Amino acid sequence: MKPFLTALSLLACTAVACAQGEPPPQLSSVKHATDGHVWGALIFATNDATQLTGASEPVHAELPKLHERLAKVFPFKHFEILGQHRQDIFREYESWVVPSRDLFMKIDSKGPADKGGVNLHLQVWREQQVLVKSDAVLRKDSPLFIGGPPWKQGRLIFVLFLERK
Amino acid sequence: MKPPSEEHDLIRWIDGEMNETERATFEERLKQDPVLAKEARQMRDLSTSLRAHLPAEMRVPHADYFNTQIEVRITQMALDDTRAKQAAPGWGIMLQWLRQPWFAMAGTAALAVLGFFLLSPGTGDASESMILSSYTPNTHVQARTYHDTGAEATVLMLDGLDAVPAERKVSGIHIQRSEVEPELASTTMFDVHGTPVLMISRDALGNPMITPRG
Repeated sequence: MKPFLTALSLLACTAVACAQGEPPPQLSSVKHATDGHVWGALIFATNDATQLTGASEPVHAELPKLHERLAKVFPFKHFEILGQHRQDIFREYESWVVPSRDLFMKIDSKGPADKGGVNLHLQVWREQQVLVKSDAVLRKDSPLFIGGPPWKQGRLIFVLFLERK
Repeated sequence: MKPPSEEHDLIRWIDGEMNETERATFEERLKQDPVLAKEARQMRDLSTSLRAHLPAEMRVPHADYFNTQIEVRITQMALDDTRAKQAAPGWGIMLQWLRQPWFAMAGTAALAVLGFFLLSPGTGDASESMILSSYTPNTHVQARTYHDTGAEATVLMLDGLDAVPAERKVSGIHIQRSEVEPELASTTMFDVHGTPVLMISRDALGNPMITPRG
């Protein structure tokens, strides 16, 4: 009798909530299989410190000396992380890395790579326009630096990094 | 239900594919068969309406990418054919090569080059990320890729991109996790506090659509 009363009271509560215009309780989301986890960031590089936006996003803990490493590739003095995104690489579904609405990436997993890492198909998008499509192998401790479009006498850079966990 | 031949004739008549004799014969049948005539009129009206409302040409999404992939495949097949023809003479010619005095020296040099590439620390290191192929739909954009040892990073440099207007405010987002909804073909993204920040899905052409807009 008791389980029946409990179920009845839950049903009644849901009905009341719906009648009051409240959303019904959410079910826990399904956990989809993954092939790894990435960190993506949009970075603004410039030589003119006055053009920095003031964003204060922290660097990923597993990616030491990021600014110094970027400076070895891109001829700029100042590097500012505008946005960042930690994302599962879904095995069966496309994954999006969106550190900004202006420049973002679609990732399709092609499975684990030989000798570690993961095979990926990458697409870098600028709003409704795809800038580049690439097949890549992403490995831990080896970030991918993508030199994007110029902006305000500087340049936008997309960084993609395979997390260790 | 009409027999298939009658249905076929009806479609050919609507599409204007009949010759003079066939059309005259079919139109005579229409005069004698009011049911067929009614159906023919309805189908012709529908066809006219569709033609009026649909564009004469529809853009194929990423058609240039599709064409490029076909060209790449054709080139690969041609190369395979050429190699197969070159390999066809077989062992006779290979044995003649082995008898040549210069073969030993050339073989040694080839092994040295191969060894250099295999043992060289900067070439094909299994710990480095790699770009295997790149394609830029905009032909004015060039993609260069290399590994920068000093930066310990793999670089994909996109040259020739249009600049983002200086007056445009490029701002970032901090996304901590996301949830994918396969039924809706959408992904919802959450910030560090677990608050939904944005959702990304696809429009009718397959392009990404971010909501809410910034």
